[in-house]
Amino acid sequence: MITVPSHPKYLSFVRAATVMMGVQNKVDNTVIEHMEHAVDEACSNVIKHAYAGDPDNQIWVTLRVSPEAFEVIIEDSGLKADVASIKGRDLDDIRPGGLGVHLIKRACDVVEFDEKKKKGNRLRLVKYLKVKHGNKDTRP
Amino acid sequence: MEIKIQDHEGVKIIALSGDIDMYTSPEVRKQLLRLIGQRVPIIMVDLTNVTYIDSSAIATFVEGLKGMMSYSGRLKFFGIPMKLMEIFNFSKLDKVFDMYGSMEDALEG
Repeated sequence: MITVPSHPKYLSFVRAATVMMGVQNKVDNTVIEHMEHAVDEACSNVIKHAYAGDPDNQIWVTLRVSPEAFEVIIEDSGLKADVASIKGRDLDDIRPGGLGVHLIKRACDVVEFDEKKKKGNRLRLVKYLKVKHGNKDTRP
Repeated sequence: MEIKIQDHEGVKIIALSGDIDMYTSPEVRKQLLRLIGQRVPIIMVDLTNVTYIDSSAIATFVEGLKGMMSYSGRLKFFGIPMKLMEIFNFSKLDKVFDMYGSMEDALEG
């Protein structure tokens, strides 16, 4: 798990960690790029919405890769997300904003908030990886 | 991220480099809106050395485009790396942005 302050200047750090986790585990480049965007957008949302721009809080990011999946868990101790209200703009409706949700959903097979978490948010992002037939990869 | 602004016979060229994300896009927005406030007729954005863009960067460019449309100005992009083009395509902005391969093409287009 990595912990970063809720300041936008640390987003590049989280992106780099996401990319490195994928590269070290030989994840497909397109999957890595998409996950980089998803994690970046999710952490940006934490800063904007959960912490309302306050840079003096923390974001916890857990990155895991198994042969089956690239999984990222993003946690904060800020305001609860109103999950029902989270939706991107219609992509054909060209206007500023509303793209981040699409970038997250594009990257991930699973996008879910842990509704049992009492304080703050825990967002789980999962991209299932295609396991090649006969692949004897012993990645952890 | 770095921003360099050059004047080419009245055309303003904004050369960006590095990552444009939630941390850096406010400065891009500030510079872009400053030029739009001056009603610059043509603004060209050089993305050749940009390594990453997020949704806030896209929002900045869309805001810039709409601002320029209000006075029939033109916002052009050139030198778009493949990684960025993929985001432009995904967000369907390839249909509304003027995009060129090189600065010369953008100046002529």
